[in-house]
Amino acid sequence: MFNPFGYYFFQNAIAGGIIVAIVCGLVGLFLILKKEAMLGDGLSHTAFGGIALGLLLGVNPIVTALGVSILAVFAISYMRRKKIAPTDSAVAVMLALGFSTGLILISFAGGFNVDLFNYLFGSILTISTTDLLLVLGLSVFVLLFISFFRKELLSMVFCEEDARIMGIPTNKLTILFDLLIAVTIVLSIKVIGTILVVALLVIPGLCALKLDLSFKKTLLATILFSTTSTTIGIILSAIFNIVTAGFIVFILVTAFLLTLTYKKLE
Amino acid sequence: MQQAMTRSILEVKGLNVTRNGTPVIENAAFTINRGDYVGIVGPNGGGKTTLLSAILGFLPHTAGSICLFGTELSKFSSWQKIAYISQQATNFEDQFPLTVRELVSLGCIKKGKLGRRFTPEDWAIVDENLDFMGLSDVANRRISQLSGGQKQRMFVAKALTHKPELILLDEPIVGVDSNAQEKFYKKLSDLNVERQITILIVTHDLTSVFCRMSKIMCINKTVEFAEITPNLDANMLLKRAYGKHFHFVYHQHNCEGVFVAEH
Repeated sequence: MFNPFGYYFFQNAIAGGIIVAIVCGLVGLFLILKKEAMLGDGLSHTAFGGIALGLLLGVNPIVTALGVSILAVFAISYMRRKKIAPTDSAVAVMLALGFSTGLILISFAGGFNVDLFNYLFGSILTISTTDLLLVLGLSVFVLLFISFFRKELLSMVFCEEDARIMGIPTNKLTILFDLLIAVTIVLSIKVIGTILVVALLVIPGLCALKLDLSFKKTLLATILFSTTSTTIGIILSAIFNIVTAGFIVFILVTAFLLTLTYKKLE
Repeated sequence: MQQAMTRSILEVKGLNVTRNGTPVIENAAFTINRGDYVGIVGPNGGGKTTLLSAILGFLPHTAGSICLFGTELSKFSSWQKIAYISQQATNFEDQFPLTVRELVSLGCIKKGKLGRRFTPEDWAIVDENLDFMGLSDVANRRISQLSGGQKQRMFVAKALTHKPELILLDEPIVGVDSNAQEKFYKKLSDLNVERQITILIVTHDLTSVFCRMSKIMCINKTVEFAEITPNLDANMLLKRAYGKHFHFVYHQHNCEGVFVAEH
């Protein structure tokens, strides 16, 4: 059988996959607790517009996707704050706008075929060193933020009014967290692609929540679920030469079903 | 004059609050002093929660003034002195991944020192407050596993961890049995006496108000405020809010019985 472990591309893929899995799982857990999981899905689809723009302009699509996601998350946040539209509707508008912009740009450029496919469904096995470094840098930023402000974030998602009275600047923290979501979405595009990002965001946290643990242990369990599923997914996809994202999501869903069964039997 | 400045914690004058265009509080005026233990009563929909929301600045007021610790509400920034426990506090998601001790520790978050790690001293305060509120045995349980009364005490423990000078408590209407409720009021009395914390509590338990608390606020659009003394005509006060057919039977010795049972 093909043994992928001796190859550089594979080591890069595993390293990138694990760090992205950690970031996605942690940010996703807070998103679930904030009941905004679909914000992740909406943003990743919006980011598609940014990717098309990057490909058209010949700029690194991760950079343009980041710009578009940040704009989109602030637009959603603005609509929510000014009561122009509730979060889910605002997400729907931005999702449609980003994706349709992407479609127009693609048609305009006459299609990008392989490249585009890689961004839609991820291409962790072909991640370049530049992209890996970009992903690492963004991940470190997100992880540092969460490790410093997890208690404040937790306080805010538990009860925003209460957090505000306690002196937590909830408006600023919300903006920073929105920014974090945009960054997380973009860095996971390389691993799992824009279409399935939401799975890596939501399922690990959901599995961990089913175990009824303390907050500390829930964080650890989330990381364990996301990194294990991602690693196994990458290995299987290298061996069988099948799209990585498909395997990762399949394993995540299997883990979720196993967790549910475990809770039933317990 | 100087003494009045320091003693008064909350001063409300000529306050009007409307919700969706309907006046809910009209011309409220009262002064809460340091060390007061105030029971807020009145019929449902009378404006109790609305008044608290206005004091906390969640709702704008259309007329009058609110002064917290001698500062006009719009300029007030020392929110760390105030703890608020809302009516919905105990209605959290069952799946929320927190132990009782973890939730109470969130009270250690300090304005201006965000992002810091909790120190052993912080955890000592958390454990002391858990112990004070009688929650040491359940400290490592998930918050959803507690009874209604325990949840209530947990939120007070969290509030205490923040070392507030004023606690505003909007009591949940259901979910706590009367025995647990009586213990809860006793705990609040202890806090009020031992730690000199000023307490405003929205409650439906009139007996507890007259037995334990120092002042009563009766709200039904208008706000009646009185010190609880043996001479207070409770029924006169309550009838203004609850209607002329309301009759509340209360004897001083009822309370004495309650106190004796606990010592």
